[in-house]
Amino acid sequence: MAADTTPPAAPEDGLVGITIDGRTARVAKGTLVTDASAILGIHIPVYCAHPKMDPVAVCRMCLVHVEKMPKLQPACATPVSEGMVVSTERADVAKTREGVLEFLLLNHPLDCPVCDRGGECDLQDFAFRYGPQASRFPITEKVHFNKAVPLSDRIELDQERCILCWRCTRYYDEITGEKELVLQERGVHTLVNTFEGKPLTSAFQGNLPEICPVGALTNRKYRFKARPWDLQRTKGVCPTCSYGCNINIDSRDFEIKRFASRDNPLVDDMWLCDRGRDSGPSWNNVERIRRPVLRDATGSREVSVSEAVAAAARSLREVRERHGPSSIAVLGSAENTNEEIWLLQRLARTALETPHLDHQLEAFPDIGPEEHALGIAEIEQCAAVIVLGDEPEREAPVLTLRLFKAQTKRGVAIRRVVAQATRSLVGELPAEGLIGLIADETNREHATALAGELSRSHQVRRMTVTRGVNGRGAKDLGMLPNSGPGYTAVDQAGKAGRHILEASAAGLITGLVVMGGSVWSASVTPLLERVAAALEVLVVIDTRPGPLSRAATVLIPGHAIFEKGGTVTNMEGRVQRVRPALPPATQTPSETRILSALAAELGAAGWPGDHLLINRELVTAVPAYARAGNGGRALFEAAVRA
Amino acid sequence: MPLASDTVREITALRVRYPQPRSAILPCLWAVQNELGYLSAEGMEEVAAILDLAPSEVQAVSTFYSMYFAQPAGDHQLLICVNVSCALRGADAIVDHVQSRLGCPSGGTTGDGKFTWESTIECLGACGGAPAMQVNHHFHENLTPDRVDGLLERLRAEPRPSHANGQSVGHVAEALTVKAPSSGPHPPSAETPPAPNAEGPPADTGVSDPAFPAPELPLGEHTEMPGSRSKRSYTKRGSRSAPRKRPRPNAGDL
Ligand code: SF4
Ligand code: SF4
Ligand code: FES
Ligand code: FES
Repeated sequence: MAADTTPPAAPEDGLVGITIDGRTARVAKGTLVTDASAILGIHIPVYCAHPKMDPVAVCRMCLVHVEKMPKLQPACATPVSEGMVVSTERADVAKTREGVLEFLLLNHPLDCPVCDRGGECDLQDFAFRYGPQASRFPITEKVHFNKAVPLSDRIELDQERCILCWRCTRYYDEITGEKELVLQERGVHTLVNTFEGKPLTSAFQGNLPEICPVGALTNRKYRFKARPWDLQRTKGVCPTCSYGCNINIDSRDFEIKRFASRDNPLVDDMWLCDRGRDSGPSWNNVERIRRPVLRDATGSREVSVSEAVAAAARSLREVRERHGPSSIAVLGSAENTNEEIWLLQRLARTALETPHLDHQLEAFPDIGPEEHALGIAEIEQCAAVIVLGDEPEREAPVLTLRLFKAQTKRGVAIRRVVAQATRSLVGELPAEGLIGLIADETNREHATALAGELSRSHQVRRMTVTRGVNGRGAKDLGMLPNSGPGYTAVDQAGKAGRHILEASAAGLITGLVVMGGSVWSASVTPLLERVAAALEVLVVIDTRPGPLSRAATVLIPGHAIFEKGGTVTNMEGRVQRVRPALPPATQTPSETRILSALAAELGAAGWPGDHLLINRELVTAVPAYARAGNGGRALFEAAVRA
Repeated sequence: MPLASDTVREITALRVRYPQPRSAILPCLWAVQNELGYLSAEGMEEVAAILDLAPSEVQAVSTFYSMYFAQPAGDHQLLICVNVSCALRGADAIVDHVQSRLGCPSGGTTGDGKFTWESTIECLGACGGAPAMQVNHHFHENLTPDRVDGLLERLRAEPRPSHANGQSVGHVAEALTVKAPSSGPHPPSAETPPAPNAEGPPADTGVSDPAFPAPELPLGEHTEMPGSRSKRSYTKRGSRSAPRKRPRPNAGDL
């Protein structure tokens, strides 16, 4: 009967139904069989397929049986269609997998014990899980290639281990567009190489070892440092810039061994820049401040942390009594967590009662949340994006990859113009759709002017690349002389960062509290030295020694960003958690506890010292942060002119 | 060393013939090799610059094909087909013979810089006259060791062929851009006989080369050339040894 064979009509939900190994799901049209299988919890091994790249189906590892198809189909390149029935368990699939693996291992060296990838290698894992028991090809007949070819000071290529999945070449083609790696030669002689063997120059090389499914591309900075199963993995946020890429901090023996990417499609899209990736291990050998120190005319001595806090409070109180509250200033930094910033600005405003507080040197006369309206992922939804100057991409390199993706995969017009560009320089813009405008902090005024011009004809959303991992959080939470938490107005605007330092050098400010100042650029060192010489009281809470900490009258060690918990806010306002990955390099309590103790000594008892309790207080006071939660964006509705 | 302006003009003309500039890589590389005798790094970079590609892409294409030379080659380039038809008709004997006469391994250049030869060439499309070889853009078919000797002797006396040897790609390009799009791209037109006024060896029109009488042997006697199927001949060309006999997979297993 014809009617019996007609399948029941599919529900009209815009989805398509698929059955894999007897399990069914309804997935969006265009979903690939590999993705559908992941939804169903069925493992299909893949090599060439990569979630961020277009399918090419060259490795044949993912072949599965699809009903009514004469031959096995590559799951990574087969979109689901209505009523598709897939089997990954049939004998022919298993046999094909064995065959593919036997071929992939044909010329593969027996390197696993000396291969940096061992333990996190898809070739090892799939050979173990799906491979044949033994190869039928004699080991003496392997074709050999070059081993340990340095492609740059970061990357090493073992051409023998390469399984020719094309991921690295597609990465350079689709993700960065730099096309540095290509496949050369043909057949069994095919190898991955650069033009004329020249060294790689990309700023995103560190991603290569992560996308390579085997041990062919390895990271020279991490090579032979650890076996993956010995690493302790902690979720974190890259501490190098305000883009806020999500990372995994892999540590062992109280040392950071590497930063690995952690895919957040809204932020990093799983790519890291080399500057950020290298910043982790660079902390292993730096000089750290480890003990509290009191210093006076007679010399310096190490003290307990409670003594240091008491001395700091005492000396600050003396300064206030002698010269009044506005002779004291407080400087935070863009490296502090939101919780620390919250307490620090509160310390300045309520305990010390000074209007002089800031977290960076430049003064921002008017600052409002409208300059942070554009989100990172929203770049892909714009019709056109204008980038002012090369500073934004220099400051936050992974932005380049997002712009390239928007341009090549979403058809967004990207205009890179000089920072001072006016409407006429931008040229023709699409009449419809959103216009993104990206600038860094030094070019805020240009961006404001251009946005004003453009918004007459277009809908414009701005993105400002802030500085430091938490420069945005410091602004949102009011670590500014002219704006309170959540961009609220302040009664009396104080001095901005550089003015604070200049006033200190001139003797107008006699007491200074600095938290995390070691990161300021070397160009201000002479000024800092003058400041250090002129101040009566200098309380420094910092992780690494710098011109100020060396002259501090009270010095208290701080915890590095991966040694403590808290939240940081990236340039688009995304509030992300950081967690302690290592024990602190000092035995003293974290900065938040020190600040609450200092407040108590100054007469403001009862401030929370734990970052979770502080966060609770903070989100009550700044509703945008409550709405953002963990991982969402803090969006401020109305701009309050400060 | 920058490419000659003629070559640059050719490459520029070729670029516009394809909707995708990268489709022009092959003919552009021919133009470079016609000028320099091989593909220099600078030459490939120049092609890449004109075609608006990355140099790495150009090199990726050039290394895929065995008829582009990465090293400066000898005056005369001998490319011996070893694909199936020629192999059946005795290409291995020709390879052996050329090797013993020239005294350098396949891919090498003779000490006097006269000859470069390759035996890793796949089907030239001259199977009808197998065994065949290509010498400086001309086919020589129905080869025998004797005919090879005569050819080598003649070439030894000849200077390096000029750029115009074979067909200049630029002429093809220009002709085609002027003419209707009906004629498809065909550079570097190895099969095309040289223009009447071109310098170079006489046109090789299949078997009718008067210098070399066509072999009288009937076809059947050539198919079982001794040695053409030996294991030795496999490995000599850089392939792995012949696969061991293995039981065929049972269709029922699948
Ligand atoms: S790439 Fe994988 S399979 Fe190959 S040697 Fe390294 S760990 Fe072993
Ligand atoms: S080097 Fe790695 S990523 Fe590149 S093709 Fe080889 S196996 Fe794939
Ligand atoms: S993963 Fe499907 S063919 Fe490579
Ligand atoms: S097989 Fe030699 S030319 Fe075709």
